[in-house]
Amino acid sequence: MSYRIPMGPYHPALEEPYKLDMLCEGETVKDVQLHIGFNFRGVEKLAESRNYIQVVALMERVCGICSFIHTLTLCQAMEQLTGQEPPPRARFIRVIMAELERLHSHVLWAGIACKLMGFKTMFMTCFAIREKVMDVLQAISGNRVNYSMNRIGGVNRDVEDPVAILHMVEELEGEMARKIVPILTTSTTAMSRCAGVGVLTREKAVSCGVVGPTARASGVDQDLRRDAPYAAYEEMDFNVPVEMDGDVRARLLVRALEILESCRILRQALNKMPSGEIDTGDAKIAFAGGTALSRVEAPRGEVVYSVTWKENARNPTRIHVRTPTYVNMPAVRWMARGARLADTPLIQASIDPCYSCTDR
Amino acid sequence: MSAVETIPAQSTIEGVWTESSGVLWYGGEHLSLREVAAAMNAVGARFVTITAHQLSGPQALRLEYHWDMEGRLLGFAFPLEGKAMDSIFDICEAADWIEREVHEQFAVDFIGREYEPLLLRAGNKAGIYLREEVER
Repeated sequence: MSYRIPMGPYHPALEEPYKLDMLCEGETVKDVQLHIGFNFRGVEKLAESRNYIQVVALMERVCGICSFIHTLTLCQAMEQLTGQEPPPRARFIRVIMAELERLHSHVLWAGIACKLMGFKTMFMTCFAIREKVMDVLQAISGNRVNYSMNRIGGVNRDVEDPVAILHMVEELEGEMARKIVPILTTSTTAMSRCAGVGVLTREKAVSCGVVGPTARASGVDQDLRRDAPYAAYEEMDFNVPVEMDGDVRARLLVRALEILESCRILRQALNKMPSGEIDTGDAKIAFAGGTALSRVEAPRGEVVYSVTWKENARNPTRIHVRTPTYVNMPAVRWMARGARLADTPLIQASIDPCYSCTDR
Repeated sequence: MSAVETIPAQSTIEGVWTESSGVLWYGGEHLSLREVAAAMNAVGARFVTITAHQLSGPQALRLEYHWDMEGRLLGFAFPLEGKAMDSIFDICEAADWIEREVHEQFAVDFIGREYEPLLLRAGNKAGIYLREEVER
């Protein structure tokens, strides 16, 4: 006999509101319907009433975790429309901030995933390390969440002491390599809890157009940092971890390996950072009319901004934001089909969803 | 031959391509959206998004469709005379949510599909981002 179980909008696993309607038979999930929109704020429309300085502050607040990524993507699009070319040092600082944000996001996610596995000690360990990542972000930007770093044509603050930041990063890398990565990649408790759970096949991943670690854990080898490099990623040497199994374990492995790759990128960026200006220094910004698209590999996957401006206008005509969770979330339906009801919180969390971004 | 020049050859659609502001735009005439979607599926391109623009001229709206092919962003623009467009949801399931969103925000009717509410609640009026709705 079938029955329906609603999960959400107040969610047992995550802080943000969304709802799953699950059709179950016994303990098995037969089908899932997803409902979002509880956090819809009309940010895209609101952006049309903001000028080119205000709009950066507004779009920074689309997401609490990848706030830097949102302003980076927006500023890259606006730089295409204004002909502003960020100086090399600014491009390196953007890489440093983006990778620190990826560490922040992945470690936060690892903590939540461990909590859902019943591994609460590891949750506390992850959150303690996350604090240290935020300390590095604060040392650079002065802020712990909304960093206010990006502007058209560069960044607002310099990395004044790269050696000190490098020491902080190396210390963090050692701690993550000792405490987090081995647990996520080799622990029997974590592996047995996650193996074979919430499988998304490669075919379905391609069909749903999923992005980021969710795609890479299903054998889809894509990463904009390598495939369509922006900022200073062309000058970085790094690997893109890909797993073939498509289950929660694979998504755990991909993120664990990405933590190490992010540290590797950070070390390179801090060691090779060129001297010079951090912005173009142009006080007056003039927009050419048209639409520009910009894409960035956020911690959860590709973020896309389509930005339209009328010539010499102060406000955008249209900003459209396509976030990674927006394309990853529909795939949860296929991951949850056939799964045990008790596994669904972990399955949903395994895509590292962000509803604030998705609803905008 | 540059990487840009190879893309039309890789795609099954013949036409003129122009690179502008991060996108390789198709500039040929008389494209059917469903043919584009089928061709993009055939070459393994990943559907990215649809962006709707409200225009001030006689053509009410323009829809821009994007696919990613090996890191390159392909763009196809479709001006709408009215407010109806073929749905590609049946051949490109990744377009489901964005078609529903464009319907809710710009009242575009995607022909051949039904809508579940996405960002709005059941019974809310579609077209919330249209200029006339915002000014009202």
